[in-house]
Amino acid sequence: MRTLIKNILLIIIIALNSFTVFAKDNLVTDLSESTVEISSTFSGADILLFGAYDGQKNDDIIVVVSGQKGNIKVDKKEKKFGIWMITESIKFSNVPKYYYIASNRKIEEITNKSEIKKRKLDFNNFELKNNKIDYKNLDKKWYEALKRNMKKKQFWKIEENSITLNKNTLFRKTLSLPSNVSTGMYNVKILHYRKGNLISQEESKIKIDKTGISANIYNIAQNFSAIYGIIAVIVALFFGWFTNFIFRRI
Amino acid sequence: MYIYLPIAEQPINAFIVLGIGWLVGIIMGMVGIGGGFLLTPLMIFFGIPSPVAVASVANQLVAPSVSGVLSHWKSGNVDFKMGTILLVGGVIGSSIGVLIFNILNAIGQLDLVIKLSYVIFLAIIGSLMFIESFKLIIQTKRGKATRGKLHQHNWLHGLPLKTRFRKSKLYISIILPLIIGVIVGILAALMGIGGGFIIVPAMIYLLGMPTSLVIGTSLFQIIFVAANTTILQASQNQTVDIVLALILLIGSVIGVQIGSKFSNLMKGEHLRLFLSFIILLVGFKLILDLVTIPLDIFSISVIQ
Repeated sequence: MRTLIKNILLIIIIALNSFTVFAKDNLVTDLSESTVEISSTFSGADILLFGAYDGQKNDDIIVVVSGQKGNIKVDKKEKKFGIWMITESIKFSNVPKYYYIASNRKIEEITNKSEIKKRKLDFNNFELKNNKIDYKNLDKKWYEALKRNMKKKQFWKIEENSITLNKNTLFRKTLSLPSNVSTGMYNVKILHYRKGNLISQEESKIKIDKTGISANIYNIAQNFSAIYGIIAVIVALFFGWFTNFIFRRI
Repeated sequence: MYIYLPIAEQPINAFIVLGIGWLVGIIMGMVGIGGGFLLTPLMIFFGIPSPVAVASVANQLVAPSVSGVLSHWKSGNVDFKMGTILLVGGVIGSSIGVLIFNILNAIGQLDLVIKLSYVIFLAIIGSLMFIESFKLIIQTKRGKATRGKLHQHNWLHGLPLKTRFRKSKLYISIILPLIIGVIVGILAALMGIGGGFIIVPAMIYLLGMPTSLVIGTSLFQIIFVAANTTILQASQNQTVDIVLALILLIGSVIGVQIGSKFSNLMKGEHLRLFLSFIILLVGFKLILDLVTIPLDIFSISVIQ
């Protein structure tokens, strides 16, 4: 409830401010949170993105959230000796580990193909590299497999018609980050289109980081891994002895 | 209640994991084996990456094993001399196992090898256990339970380095328990199991140890094999999720205590018949997964 009130207040403030801001910049946006902390009770996060724009009838808004880039391995299974086993793998690098697109209507209707390609408003225009052959000559099925599986895991997601525009001035969109989201800096891009042309854009950043016990455990495991292993054993030894101690008394 | 796992990097329902650990603990306490080979596949079904599942289950195995050994020790059911020889082999074996684990992971066939090893061992051990316990039950019902020699003499008894194991009433070569220890150690590291379901039949059928000593002695050696695997996996692969292990072990140590109280209510052969069903079921499910066409023949994984 408190966050709701906070959000409404912020929207009102933005709306009031926007009258003066419009003069030089016709798009103002903000996020309800700019950092997401992955604590030991983390199960995904909802971030409210809201903004005001100097709009006319039939203007469009597109939001693109992109995470850090990394390497993804695609494995292909084939039936050998009656068993399905991995027979071929291709490593794609420079892959956005998270990519989310939202808009107020179908992107194809908002703008043209070259703009979609330039602004990466679908999943087909990433500059990927792979370890096998030149990307252009790679069999399409490999990229299709990557795309299909990234979508299935909710790492790549597109929601057209999901942004509601209010009186050509206000919009809001809840960005739902999945629980298995990777850490790092996320880029939030808000694009304002009029008759297919980009007339203004805004960028924000969301920092996703591990905090608390969860972060400490991760750091110890990475930096003092042998000590971590010994601690893990001691903890287990203690619990084993302790339960025996308790149950002997019962 | 969801808890975020720092190493697996995902949240998990703590109560469900606690419950699974508890149930598996009960089976473990009743039969003395079966912690890892049920927990590891279950954790993989929950979406935990298989290297993390294997390493964390090895970590949790330390706890119920300690707790079990302490109970069996009190009743005088641990052959420490035999256990020590087995664990020396086990520590060597688990070090080799972690090495194989790393190689398989690097060439991308770890998952397949884990599953195939499970299928082979579950099928063999499950059917042997089933036949054996079924025979015993039939014999007891007919009332002509034949008691043969304490154990059969075969070529294994001709090996050098013979030692007397007073507790087990055996005079055998240390080479055989050492080799059994090594094999179990390799499997422990590869499959995230204590190796109980291999070592228990091996101790009964190959070494000829009295059944009463088998569970306590195998648990004794599992402590060291699991501890060695945990430290090696943690230091080489950073795959031990202490939070996952902790939730599992709290469930399982309580389960083991309850299970070991129940074990006096049921006959050994009935228990083993019951366990053989579970073993065969898990094996069957794994075969099914390997031979049926996958939903998507392509799969992805994030790599460094």
